[in-house]
Amino acid sequence: MKLNLRIWRQKDAAAEGAIETFELDGVSPDMSFLEMLDILNEKLVGEGTDPVAFDHDCREGVCGSCGAVVNGQVHGPDTETTLCQLHMRRFRDGDTVQIEPWRSRAFPVIRDLVVDRTAFDRIQQAGGYVSVDTGSAPDANILPVPKPDAERAFDYAECIGCGGCVAACPNGAAMLFTAAKVAHLATLPQGKVERDARVLAMVTQMDEEGFGACTNHYECTAACPKGVPIDAIATMNREYLRATFLSKEGV
Amino acid sequence: MLRWIDRFANSSIGRKALMAVTGLLLIGFLLAHVAGNLTLYADQDGSAFNAYVESISALPILPLAEAGLALLFLVHIYLAVRTTLENRKARPVAYQATGTHGQKTLASTGMFVSGVVILGFLIKHLLDFRLRKAEFDEAPHESIVEAFQHMPTVAIYVVGCTALGFHLFHAIQSAAQTLGFNHPKYTPAILWFGRIFGIVLALLFASFPLVYMVKNGGTH
Amino acid sequence: MSTQNPILDSKCPTGDIETRWDRHRFDMKQVNPANKRKFHIIIVGTGLAGGSAAATLAELGYKVTSLCIQDSPRRAHSIAAQGGINAAKNYPNDGDSIYRLFYDTVKGGDFRARESNVYRLAQVSNNIIDQATAQGVPFAREYGGHLDNRSFGGAQVSRTFYARGATGQQLLLGAYAAMSRQIQLGKIDMRPRREMLDVVKVDGVARGVICRNMVTGEYERYAGDAVLLCTGGYGNVFYLSTNAKASNVTASWRAHKRGAYFANPCYTQIHPTCIPVSGDHQSKLTLMSESLRNDGRVWVPKKAGDSRAINDIPEEERDYYLERRYPAFGNLVPRDVASRASKERCDAGFGVGPGGKSVYLDFAEAIQRDGEDTVRAKYGNLFHMYEKITDENPYERPMRIYPAVHYTMGGLWVDYNLESTVPGLFVLGEANFSDHGANRLGASALMQGLSDGYFVIPYTVCGHLAGRNLQPVSTSDEAFAEAEASVRERTDALLAVNGSRTVDSFHRELGLTMWDHCGMARNKDGLQQAIDKIGSLREEFWNDVRVLGSNEEFNQSLEKAGRVADFLEFAETFAMDALDRSESCGGHFREESQTEEGEALRDDDNYCYAAAWEYQGPDGKAALHKEDLNFEYVKLAQRSYK
Ligand SMILES: Cc1cc2nc3c(=O)[nH]c(=O)nc-3n(C[C@H](O)[C@H](O)[C@H](O)COP(=O)(O)OP(=O)(O)OC[C@H]3O[C@@H](n4cnc5c(N)ncnc54)[C@H](O)[C@@H]3O)c2cc1C
Ligand code: HEM
Ligand code: FES
Repeated sequence: MKLNLRIWRQKDAAAEGAIETFELDGVSPDMSFLEMLDILNEKLVGEGTDPVAFDHDCREGVCGSCGAVVNGQVHGPDTETTLCQLHMRRFRDGDTVQIEPWRSRAFPVIRDLVVDRTAFDRIQQAGGYVSVDTGSAPDANILPVPKPDAERAFDYAECIGCGGCVAACPNGAAMLFTAAKVAHLATLPQGKVERDARVLAMVTQMDEEGFGACTNHYECTAACPKGVPIDAIATMNREYLRATFLSKEGV
Repeated sequence: MLRWIDRFANSSIGRKALMAVTGLLLIGFLLAHVAGNLTLYADQDGSAFNAYVESISALPILPLAEAGLALLFLVHIYLAVRTTLENRKARPVAYQATGTHGQKTLASTGMFVSGVVILGFLIKHLLDFRLRKAEFDEAPHESIVEAFQHMPTVAIYVVGCTALGFHLFHAIQSAAQTLGFNHPKYTPAILWFGRIFGIVLALLFASFPLVYMVKNGGTH
Repeated sequence: MSTQNPILDSKCPTGDIETRWDRHRFDMKQVNPANKRKFHIIIVGTGLAGGSAAATLAELGYKVTSLCIQDSPRRAHSIAAQGGINAAKNYPNDGDSIYRLFYDTVKGGDFRARESNVYRLAQVSNNIIDQATAQGVPFAREYGGHLDNRSFGGAQVSRTFYARGATGQQLLLGAYAAMSRQIQLGKIDMRPRREMLDVVKVDGVARGVICRNMVTGEYERYAGDAVLLCTGGYGNVFYLSTNAKASNVTASWRAHKRGAYFANPCYTQIHPTCIPVSGDHQSKLTLMSESLRNDGRVWVPKKAGDSRAINDIPEEERDYYLERRYPAFGNLVPRDVASRASKERCDAGFGVGPGGKSVYLDFAEAIQRDGEDTVRAKYGNLFHMYEKITDENPYERPMRIYPAVHYTMGGLWVDYNLESTVPGLFVLGEANFSDHGANRLGASALMQGLSDGYFVIPYTVCGHLAGRNLQPVSTSDEAFAEAEASVRERTDALLAVNGSRTVDSFHRELGLTMWDHCGMARNKDGLQQAIDKIGSLREEFWNDVRVLGSNEEFNQSLEKAGRVADFLEFAETFAMDALDRSESCGGHFREESQTEEGEALRDDDNYCYAAAWEYQGPDGKAALHKEDLNFEYVKLAQRSYK
């Protein structure tokens, strides 16, 4: 099939960007979206035009590298699907496909569709861990964890850190990302020891990065390729209130 | 000292929690308010309503309650404006194509707009009654009859109540989530309760001007 | 028997295997706690190996600099591992032990790994599970709250721990979290979007690296007291593989050019259960985890070229060929065996799907027995992925699968301390060659990567740091300038060609050559042809590749070009190694060397060694050195899974 692509081009962080239009023929329905961009890039290089830059690595929906807003939808039209797992059979011959990078103050554009997501790493560094030095762990079975809790913790822990939640949020909030980690660790006994300090530090960092505040549109969870459940955010809110009013942390 | 309060009140979650609490307390006020107003339907001559207004006016803590109420509004509005502005800044470059994965609603995206309309209506409401307190207290029911004979006033009230309906349609369930309550067993119920509650409350409030207009014949 | 090169001293302890690691640790020089902060360790790669090493070394007090290609350490290729991680916990009480894990791994590797290394791996496997659990890794659990296990190929016990179909992700996020803590504490200096392009040696010892900053194009020099390469495998030399797109041989290859021997480059694992290729546009292949063979049954129609719909093929006309050929292990034979069996069926005309290039992996029985929900709980994300890609619902019809390149057992040669032939240059994880012999068992790569990083390198690096009177070095040393200049020259050369073909077109062509001649079955003529083709393709590449843009910008074509250029050099060594090893073992199947039933036939008299290649200049010149392998505990025997 033939597509009319409208893609955001921007040479670097300082440059002005703009949408450019490309015609692309010979797109097969079995291609993934990124494979479609691959053949576009092959064509562009042939014509002497700089290829479109986009982040990608695993191409199986787990590394969280890829992502773009396709016709206004984060990771495209499918649910629970990363851009690399989106297939062209979702589009029709002659479609116009508009492709834009994640838009957030905290995610400056590096080039074209590539953005800088290191803000997420800094949020994680603020407290998204259990402080257990290598070698000091007790036997793994010493602490039974109810199966439903383990399953729930996994649902949160499955976050791939792609940034789609921020991109989808009308407020540019990073709540689902931050909450996924907070809720994952708050659900497991291993994470409970540091829960108060963790949530205070992570939320403070999240705010410092310049993300917006949640007003509960729930677009994040709908766009999330892993379907991280929205109650993660309620859990984080609860943890935050708990840490603020009931704990001795952060006096 | 008190650093923790500062941190809380300036954090995204803290601010939202304060909005939720002030919002819920405002809803509490609205409930009391609508209950009082229902005395308008208790009889034909408005004596029940007059008696109700009199008993309220006589309450010694009324000034305090009013000040508290004003504070609730101010805090809620201040936080709303601040959050809205900061959220806009969080996305300096807008998307050219807009789309959704289907969760946001008109009510959720329009919270600020509905809030501003409520505020506008509130000012009109205060001008109509609270700022003419002496006149009003003299003959409460007359004042009502009088006020709702003006079509523009009725229209403004209806718009204001509609905005309130929109606001609450999203707000109640949102407040529960903000305050950390989300449970697979109860959240769906809260969602629907909140939506219905918002619509019913708005309808009740809107009914007063409408009923009075119809009953007494709207003029100019 | 070959004469052994003295540089290939494995430094393996001798004597009782159970105490070798203990004794080795005891004998090793120590760095006292106060001195640790004086040493600076450069770690390239943040996968399971690099991430766990960085976190642990920083915890111990060393100064660490971590580098990775991706925009975040959390995105290393390890994130994609699906099925699970082995450990000898014996929680299911089914007879597992350290010794059994050791035995299975040596046998699974077709007797081409060092016993000492494998035993140590089995020993520390349990600590990994403890550590990960304490970090909050949400492993699957039983109803009683204890950890659950599943079965993987090549073992008759259940010893694989898992977190749904995302075990690698969860383990990597655990290591990433541990790293994050050290970054916050200022002990790890994390530099993402950096590609290491050279190792810098000062006085013969690895003392730093040269990186390209992938955002600005700047060349950066990093100096330290030890360099750890944790840069993963090179399966992408085949272009199509299950590896992430950025997986490469560049880091290893550049180190190789600086004197690190490359061991067993031809040992490649072709995984039996991957989603088949759908067209020329295919950019990578997707694995369907081996764990699926716990419940899925592999079959093809008994009649060649049978084109009936699946449901029209009655039970008795289906050939469950793995169960038929290997009754003891059934669908859970090791990967090399399963892959060859699929290829054999397809080559003989029994394959299904377009071009007869796939076989069925059928869950009907499991769904009938346990219900769809149970199957969904175990494999939901894999089924989802399968449906995304193929548009077919695996709950309703069997999956179609075919083997694909998945893992590389070969890698830089290392001794028992994980040190390469360049002093001070350590190699961890998939990038080294050490533990899997000629075939890796499922769920053992995660185990090895984490074992290397959490529990081996923290001890063995001391020997180097404390034992070698290291003098301070700075990045202004002449050696850094020389390395940077050579890297710059290569990049400039790539940009200067300005030919007509894209980088990807060369990579694809290389991949096809490799798949045709160095894939699941290899023979002398084919390998010789491959060597010729690779040479001419390399020449064409340097005459006709087109890389647009400049170095001083974010330039993904340039990144790819550098990697493909290295693959084109490395591929030749790969083929030479395959040619040299004229026996079949594990994943390396030489058609000339097979049993009457078509099983791999080893030649222990002539090939019981690890082949370590020494770089001797461009154009595929390399010298072969041999490290003899001795088996004292697991008796050399023809592998049988019947
Ligand atoms: C789809 C799939 C599923 C798998 N499932 C399993 C499983 O269930 N169980 C199991 O045991 N094993 C599994 N494996 C194998 C296992 O995942 C890998 O072998 C293992 O994760 C490798 O880890 P690593 O740390 O050695 O390297 P990687 O995770 O590959 O990390 C390499 C790191 O090096 C960096 N790097 C590379 N080159 C450079 C350079 N030049 N400069 C700077 N940085 C560089 C990268 O950025 C990255 O951070 C699977 C593999 C695949 C492909
Ligand atoms: C009677 C008057 C009002 C009531 C009962 C009310 C109630 C609420 C409630 C319960 C919430 C939910 C809080 C949360 O989710 O955390 C809310 C949110 C909000 N309100 Fe109001 N409010 C009123 C007036 C106003 C006014 C006057 C404004 C603005 C000018 C306003 C603006 C907002 C905004 C912007 C939000 C945030 C949206 C969100 O969180 O979803 N509100 N309100
Ligand atoms: S490329 Fe890894 S999630 Fe898409």
